[in-house]
Amino acid sequence: MGAKEEAQGTLSSTDFGVAASAFILNWNTICSSFPPWTWVLSRHQVEGYLSLENILLSSTQEEYGELSCPGPGKHPHQEDPIDVDDATLVRTNPCNVHYYDLHIIYCNSYRVPVLYFRAYDSAVGKARYLNEEHPYLNRPWYKLHPCGTSEWMKLLFHADDALAKTGVAIELYLVAWLSVVGHVVGLRIPFEMMKQL
Amino acid sequence: MAAESQSPSSVKKVVVHLRATGDAPILKQAKFKIPGTDKFAKVIDFLRRQLHRETLFVYVNSAFSPNPDELVIDLYNNFGFDGKLVVNYACSMAWG
Repeated sequence: MGAKEEAQGTLSSTDFGVAASAFILNWNTICSSFPPWTWVLSRHQVEGYLSLENILLSSTQEEYGELSCPGPGKHPHQEDPIDVDDATLVRTNPCNVHYYDLHIIYCNSYRVPVLYFRAYDSAVGKARYLNEEHPYLNRPWYKLHPCGTSEWMKLLFHADDALAKTGVAIELYLVAWLSVVGHVVGLRIPFEMMKQL
Repeated sequence: MAAESQSPSSVKKVVVHLRATGDAPILKQAKFKIPGTDKFAKVIDFLRRQLHRETLFVYVNSAFSPNPDELVIDLYNNFGFDGKLVVNYACSMAWG
C-alpha cells in the first residue's frame, strides 16, 4: 500500500500518521538538544499535525532561488532597477534570526505534507509572514504550496526502489521532505537524522 | 583571510560527482574537486550557472537536500562514499 504511494511521491493520510510518529520518535531521540516536535490533535480528535514552536532560526532563504516560485515575479529586485540603491533597499541581515512556529499538516488534495509557518522578529515580536488560513487554527499562517512536492519526493525515493518496497520509507518520508522544505525557514536537520535515509 | 594564507594543500579537496536526473542536461565534466571549506551553496550556484537555470533541485545520494550553508567537507565525511560526494540535480523543481 505504502510502496505504491511512494512511487508517486505521495502519502496516504494513514501513512502520514505513521510517518509523523516515526519522525517524532527519531527527532526527539537523535536531536535531543533541539526543541521537540509534538503531535497536535485537531478539534475532532481524529486528525492531527506536527508542531515545532518557538524555534530560533536564522533566515537566509532569500538567497536560494531553487526554493522560490518560478515565474515573472521571482526577482522583484531585478525588475525594478530604479530601486537598486543601497540606501533604499531593505537588506536581509545575514545575522537576522527569528523565532518560528512550524506546523506540518497533511494536505488531502495533493496527498503530501505541507509546511505552515509563522515567524516573529526577535526584536519586535511581531509575525512577519501572513498568508493563508491555517486549516486547524483558522488564522493566517504562511504556507508553502504543495504542488511540485510529489514531483521532488518521487526523486528522493526513486533511486532506492528496494527501500520503498519494504515499507521502511514511510517512516523516513518526513525526514527527506523536511530536508527540502526546511531550507525556506533555515531549518538545519542534523546529519544523524539523514543518515537513516 | 585566514584560509587564503594557508597553503593550498592544507585545504582538503572533495571530489563532487554531479549526476543529472530526469530531463536535466548531463554535464560534459561531471566530477569536480572543490575545497571542503566551501559551502554546499557553491555547488548549487555552480550548477545554476552551468545549466542556466534558476530553479534547480539539488540533492545528495538521491536521498535528501542539504542546507546550502552546510560545508562540503561535512557532507563528504557523513555521506560520501568511494572517495566522492554524489550530488544529484533535476530541473523540474517548482514551488506554487
